[in-house]
Amino acid sequence: MIKRLLAIDGIMAICHFRDDGALVEGYGMPDELLGGFAKFAHDYKRLVQGNADQLSMFTQMNGWTPPGGWVVEGDGVAVASIGNLACLMNTKEASKNEVMKELEEASHW
Amino acid sequence: MSIIPELAAMEGVIAAGEYSYRGDRFTCEGDMTDDMARMASIMCRSTSLAVHMQMDMIKNLGHDCGCAPARGWIVNGDKFSVCVIANHFCFIQNDDVSLNSVMSYMRENVPDQEGQLV
Amino acid sequence: MSDLNKLIAVEGAVGAFKFTSKGELAESKIADGSGLNEQILDLLCHVCVANMSIATMQARGWENMTGMKGFYPIKGFTMVGFDWTVIVNEEFGVVVPNSQVDYEAAHAALAG
Repeated sequence: MIKRLLAIDGIMAICHFRDDGALVEGYGMPDELLGGFAKFAHDYKRLVQGNADQLSMFTQMNGWTPPGGWVVEGDGVAVASIGNLACLMNTKEASKNEVMKELEEASHW
Repeated sequence: MSIIPELAAMEGVIAAGEYSYRGDRFTCEGDMTDDMARMASIMCRSTSLAVHMQMDMIKNLGHDCGCAPARGWIVNGDKFSVCVIANHFCFIQNDDVSLNSVMSYMRENVPDQEGQLV
Repeated sequence: MSDLNKLIAVEGAVGAFKFTSKGELAESKIADGSGLNEQILDLLCHVCVANMSIATMQARGWENMTGMKGFYPIKGFTMVGFDWTVIVNEEFGVVVPNSQVDYEAAHAALAG
């Protein structure tokens, strides 16, 4: 099902990971790399969760946690994640608004 | 047998505690309120997770140089420091305690954590 | 302030390095046969800067919430790896095998 997200402009790879970091399914990169991508996305999700929890704790401000997702932007590529989905995109070709909207929808499938 | 009472009793130790890897429980002894201990356990758990992830990443990037899995970390503040080994944490006064003795005690008495648990 | 010669002279030290505020490796000294290289040290620098940054956020938050001062500013971060330990301040770092680590000596060398 998530394979169709590869049709979105600029998306190079997509993966769905379990809560223990294992790959459920992924497309757009060799199989040997998809497991690593899923693990990275899972680790990063937990890291962002930990930081959001602390921000919430220290600011006493509602609305930070649980975090919906994250984006890490490099020079030419970015990784974005919502829920347990993560994608690798080309930043020149992808519309981040569109990608995030599609990931949000797909994360509820 | 928990080492928390002995750790908390060491000279210069402000408080010592332990959190569950799931993050749902903590214990702490020393000069800290329950709220402070809860915050301390949240902070320590989060940094430990980050350190584990970072070391695993360095290993997975092809540098299997003895870095992973991480055993713990220390952060040195202006007047006090925080020492963590596995899921045990200890707040110490910089001027009143030997960092070496606290860390030696923790490293000798706290078992290494399993990657899956973190 | 410290320099790499002092740091590599810390007992057991297998690597000493200087890094930029962005975490890039600026200078290093590596002991022969240590298994370390500049690529590893560069990654380590980034990791240490990230943790110093997170610790600074925690120090700010902790002091605001608890009124317990003395955490901020963060002076250093130590990471105890599986076989070795890295100890840094805001500019320099040293890598020492766990079996030989002397945290106090390393901090003294880092303080210059």
